[in-house]
Amino acid sequence: MKNKLLTSLLTTLLLSFAIQAEEQKACHLDDECVEVGQWQLGLALGYGERSNPVRDYDDIPIYLAPTLAYYGDSWFFDNGNLGYTLAEKELFSLNLTTSFSSDSAYFYRWDPSNIFISGTSQLSSAPALTTRFQAFGAEPEPVFNELEDRKFTLLGGAEAFIYTPMGIINLALAHDLFDVHSGMEAKVKWLYNLTLSDWKFEVAAVANWKSEEIINYYYGVRPSENAYWSERYHAGSGTNLGLELTTQYMMTEHWDLLFLVRYTDLADEIVASPLVTESYTNTYFIGTAYRF
Amino acid sequence: MTFKLIQAILVIILLCNITYAVGQESTASLSLSPQICITADVEQSCEIELVLNWETPYPQVVCIMSDHSDLEKWCADSPNTHSLTLKVETQKDIQFVMIDKQSHQTLAGVKLKVTPTAAPQVRRRYRNPWSLF
Repeated sequence: MKNKLLTSLLTTLLLSFAIQAEEQKACHLDDECVEVGQWQLGLALGYGERSNPVRDYDDIPIYLAPTLAYYGDSWFFDNGNLGYTLAEKELFSLNLTTSFSSDSAYFYRWDPSNIFISGTSQLSSAPALTTRFQAFGAEPEPVFNELEDRKFTLLGGAEAFIYTPMGIINLALAHDLFDVHSGMEAKVKWLYNLTLSDWKFEVAAVANWKSEEIINYYYGVRPSENAYWSERYHAGSGTNLGLELTTQYMMTEHWDLLFLVRYTDLADEIVASPLVTESYTNTYFIGTAYRF
Repeated sequence: MTFKLIQAILVIILLCNITYAVGQESTASLSLSPQICITADVEQSCEIELVLNWETPYPQVVCIMSDHSDLEKWCADSPNTHSLTLKVETQKDIQFVMIDKQSHQTLAGVKLKVTPTAAPQVRRRYRNPWSLF
């Protein structure tokens, strides 16, 4: 509750800041635009960490991360996602696109969200199989056998971008393409880009709704993992709230200093899962980036 | 055989016509300076001062017309006038034509070309480059 309040407060502050800021710049080659028909390739080196809210799973260290994009006249490939632009106007864009959620990344080392990220998101230590002492009448401390696979899947759907003087509004709706969990996600995101001399800032606030199927698939408990909790926990749909800041300092034409922070306040339905021990996740990274 | 003969005659007639036309064109000339206007963007207008110069084989009073809606037909006051300076604003090519004031016969033509600079085509990028984090 406290975190949600903090998130809402920060969002309001960011919005106020945006209203005062000058109008969004048009598309520029060296800004948020890409050259048609050219591969965009970059690599970031540094140190960061993504916290893992799943019980007994390690946080994920980040040393290296790529960026890869190709935009044709209508088709595009951007950091693992494929898209097709239906409309691209001055005030809005409409795309059909694939996407992936970060939920599987907490369980699966080679999830696309963990590409080039060192370390492992596997269990940090053997799960506590021994019975723990507990206060009389309290909920039993969850103890799990080895978790079953939570598979990665691609989502497919439509997204819209609306360009306003107060920033970009991104709306997206996507469904599981491979019938892994048959769930849906919806997203409302507000982004604001600001360039001050050699500094570039992008702030974003996001609300990400996940259907019951997604939350149950990733955060639900299987009978083989814990019979008691597999009966006890059944999630409904929920909404994650997040704030993001990406800061770049352009040292040269190719080299940038990169600093980014992501904070996600997990939906109450996810936090209620006995597999989850944190009510939030965060990611930070500081390093240098080279763009080819 | 008859068909080939007719074909040969037609070719000769056409060649004669072309030679005649070339001969006619060479009698009057119209030049434009500059001939190309380069704009920074496809949407940007070209604002430019143009100078038209012409020569005729014998003293003629000429008129200058164009396909640009803002430019009205202009006619020289005397056969001794051989140039015209214009200020134009356009996003499209302009075709100028010089005609004889009395007979309205077309004497010569010239075109102003409007070309945007060959800037690379760009699109919005829909993901933050570091969205994998």
